[in-house]
Amino acid sequence: MITLTRARTGTGNGGIAARRAVFRWGWRLFGREWRQQLLVLGLLTVAVAAAVWGVGVVSNAALSNPNAPTFGAAAAMAKLPGNDPKLAADVATIQRTWGPADVIENQNIATGTNQSVQLRAESPRGHFNAPLLGLVSGAYPAGAGQVALTSQVAALYGARVGGTWLAAGMTWRVTGIVQDPSNLSDEFALVAPGQVRHPSQVVILLGPAAANLAGSDATLPGVPAAALTTPNEMVSAFPQAVLVLVVEVVGLAFIGLLSVASFSVMAQRRLRALGMLSAIGATERNLRLVMIADGLVVGVVGALTGTALGLAAWVAYAPTLQRATDHVVDPANLPWWAIAIGAVFAIVTSVLASRNPAKAMAAVPVVAALSGRPSPPKAVRRSALLGVIAFAVGVAILARYGGLSGLPGGGGGPGSARSLLAGLVGVIVGILLLAPLGVSVLIVAARPRLPVAIRIALRDLVRYRSRSGAALAAVTFAMFLAMAICLVGSERTDNPLSPSVPNLSSNQLVVTAGRSPAPGMMMQLTSAQEASLSRRLDSLAVSLHARSAVPLESAAGLLQAGTSLNNNFGGSVYVATPQLLALYGIKTSQIAPRTDVLTAWSGLAGLSNMELTWQGGGVMDGSGGNGGDATPCAGSGCLANPAIETISSLPSGTSAPDTLITEYAVRKYHMQTRLSGWLIQAPAPLTASQIRAARQVTLAYQAPLEIMSGAAEFGEVADIGTAVGIIIALGVLAASVGLIRSETAQDLRTLTATGASTGTRRTITAATAAALGLLGAVLGLAFAVVGSLVSTHGRLSALFGNVPVADMLLLLFGLPLLAAAGGWLLAGREPAVISRQPLE
Amino acid sequence: MSMLELRQVSKVYGHGAAEVRALRDVSLEVAPGTMLAVMGPSGSGKSTLLTIAGSLEEPSSGQVLVANQDLAVMSRNDKARLRRQLVGYVFQDFNLLPGLTAAENVSLPLELDGVRARKAREAGLRALDGLGLADRASNYPDQLSGGERQRVAIARAVVGDRQLLLADEPSGALDSGNAETVMRMIHAACRQGVAAVVVTHDAQLASWADRVVFIRDGRIVDQTAPAAGPESLLAQER
Repeated sequence: MITLTRARTGTGNGGIAARRAVFRWGWRLFGREWRQQLLVLGLLTVAVAAAVWGVGVVSNAALSNPNAPTFGAAAAMAKLPGNDPKLAADVATIQRTWGPADVIENQNIATGTNQSVQLRAESPRGHFNAPLLGLVSGAYPAGAGQVALTSQVAALYGARVGGTWLAAGMTWRVTGIVQDPSNLSDEFALVAPGQVRHPSQVVILLGPAAANLAGSDATLPGVPAAALTTPNEMVSAFPQAVLVLVVEVVGLAFIGLLSVASFSVMAQRRLRALGMLSAIGATERNLRLVMIADGLVVGVVGALTGTALGLAAWVAYAPTLQRATDHVVDPANLPWWAIAIGAVFAIVTSVLASRNPAKAMAAVPVVAALSGRPSPPKAVRRSALLGVIAFAVGVAILARYGGLSGLPGGGGGPGSARSLLAGLVGVIVGILLLAPLGVSVLIVAARPRLPVAIRIALRDLVRYRSRSGAALAAVTFAMFLAMAICLVGSERTDNPLSPSVPNLSSNQLVVTAGRSPAPGMMMQLTSAQEASLSRRLDSLAVSLHARSAVPLESAAGLLQAGTSLNNNFGGSVYVATPQLLALYGIKTSQIAPRTDVLTAWSGLAGLSNMELTWQGGGVMDGSGGNGGDATPCAGSGCLANPAIETISSLPSGTSAPDTLITEYAVRKYHMQTRLSGWLIQAPAPLTASQIRAARQVTLAYQAPLEIMSGAAEFGEVADIGTAVGIIIALGVLAASVGLIRSETAQDLRTLTATGASTGTRRTITAATAAALGLLGAVLGLAFAVVGSLVSTHGRLSALFGNVPVADMLLLLFGLPLLAAAGGWLLAGREPAVISRQPLE
Repeated sequence: MSMLELRQVSKVYGHGAAEVRALRDVSLEVAPGTMLAVMGPSGSGKSTLLTIAGSLEEPSSGQVLVANQDLAVMSRNDKARLRRQLVGYVFQDFNLLPGLTAAENVSLPLELDGVRARKAREAGLRALDGLGLADRASNYPDQLSGGERQRVAIARAVVGDRQLLLADEPSGALDSGNAETVMRMIHAACRQGVAAVVVTHDAQLASWADRVVFIRDGRIVDQTAPAAGPESLLAQER
């Protein structure tokens, strides 16, 4: 017999008990339906894992202090030659006057091979040499006759810990294996201080007191034999992990948009159950909590799984990175704060993505929910207005702080990273809110003349706009980013006077013929130093399998007269020596006889009022040699309207010498040339150890060395952006079209019952994917044009002046075609009715 | 005093040519401890009457009072509280929540009302015990038979101090034996003071009610006190 239980002791307003009950149900539902959420779970897991791995790589790829391989933790370094007659006295003077100091005595020893090995005497407990010395196994040598070898030296001689090693006329007992953590190619045998009998060089690491002496003189007062050097590489205070987080946020934005679609489907599946929950007294907040709890669980599981996978991948990859970078990589050396923030981002993304579907479902009237009827589409006017505002704010932030302009070149500090992040978030929100309006446009396109399958596809996109809107937003954003990269890059390279090129190629290095004792200072090398450095660079070039170190000579500069700002040519102008032309494969016969300037920049030849200026000589106008419109030059050593010829063989898109004065002009106008530097172009990208060898050479002369930085060429960036944009968009389409079609599975069954063939089903899916792809590409282009124009303050012609046409066409038309082809191939099989709403 | 009172309630769906008048000026009262059966053909407005009575839908016009509280002046949250504390629902297709055991399904309204989980579970177990399902308390809905599921739904509808039980074709998905059992249980609840409104097609089952209302095209066309049902025979025997 039924018994009524009348003991009510609840609070009447739900409270924690209600939230706990609802959360428990959400958790159970996740346990039952996690397979339906594998897409979101997988994407979150991959994003977090990639971020953890990426954070590990960028934090460990470069040494936190790039000067460590040479200076350790010291602020200055003095070198004394081994043949210094007062060696011991000088060392003592330096220690006494500028100490504390670490004294390192080196003696080169013959190995019988072309590998050089140093016998090195230093204390393992020095003040500054911790980054230069580490014990791998065994013990440090403590007294006479003891030695610790690097693993390479031990292998070379077949020595082992506890055994003996015969070198430098002595038999040594091997006490341990050591390494230089900052330079694993450094091969040496460590002995106790004072055990090197005939040092070829003594290196003394010094503190800041000695560093203050650098700049005025390269020697230490009272110790003329000592050559003093100081670090000239800037230690970046900007944590590279922040850039990885920015990339992760952009990636999570895509995933968030996809997750909205996925959570909408889940909410739809649970509509009747939510209706029942409401019927027994759940409040709207309770109903929302069911879906938000789902988002939270998905986010937490994705974040934890992704972090675990990312850490595992990082630990597995660390040895490879160590081999590639030639310095010790500690797998535990991770910015844990960045990993924690990345995991929190993933959870927040999932929760935010579940919030809107939760809100929408909670607002469905109970009776409609119980009958499983979806709520009618919302009016889009308000969200469109908010979308316009959010997009405008995002673009304004990018414009104000130059965030979008920084895309191809990268760089910047925390401020630009934050503005880039804030600007992109604004753009994402704007596009997300505007997407439903975009979907509504499709109903106009669904004309009766179109084949029925295409009409059904277009109308279904409008019917299920909560899904298709989110998918369209994700595709649009992917296209926006890819197209913005192309357009901004085009704008940046449009001004031939300010060629914005970030970088040398990976196989090039340029050494400046000057001495930079401290950052920002530049002094001339003596003739003897130039000759000596030239010889060393030739040897280096040979070791890099390059022809030689090509001298770079300067003679004149280029400018445009009559403009108020930035009228100087931004690039370097060198003399077109036969060596340099040969390096680029340019024959003299390719150059017009009376050409003054050769350039890779196509726009430069078309500029009016150009002037070539140099030291000394008289004023020349255009009539002198070239006949063009003469613009009087302001002073001596000036040629108006020089003959400029565009040569496609010159390198473009890099900062390698690409604008040259012909020898004809040098001779005709009696220009004086001077050595500016050397260019070495190797046949293959330079390795870490090759770059380190080059640094060692230039450091001896304090000559600045330029190599490829982390930034890529514009063409590469555009290609990569296009490829990544299309891959992401296709991924989004694959996931969202699958969701949309699965929701219409019952319609499809009806269609099949009325005689629709496999071809019809294929056409519907292909049309759905193509329509979303094309609309996303068109909207992405529109947003990219508006965003790029505003953020670069540029002109439309400049945006499209150097735009990579193939990339743009691929984005605009290739994506829809690929989407249609993919939809056609993957459709056909009648999908299972996964939109059935479970309620027992 | 009546537990449920409908005054001149009308409900219109749609507009213009698509307009459907589901209820027209319906007035009725259900007193505590009485069972009202609502009968009528499909589309006559029976279910609409039930959903409006239970605050799941709002009438187009008219007034609905549950325990003398006017639903028209209540917020959505107040209506949700009313459903948690006073109104219990039983549906034809059971509508148990997947992922929750029978005991958790029954105790859910109490937990939503703020009752601590342990107390709510105790109350739920008592309700299940009263319906002969104590040994099925830990089973999930998909592990129960149709009759058992409906009994769990009834337990959920009466748990706590619910005073109004609304049942929409509660035996529609059951065989005659289980249907009889379900009606007996609703009837038993009414004997303990619960007011019940049961929508049914089956005249045999309607005979359990104290009163039967006939609806056609949204109007009450007749209402009558039914002939004494099987329960009356049992009462006579006592």
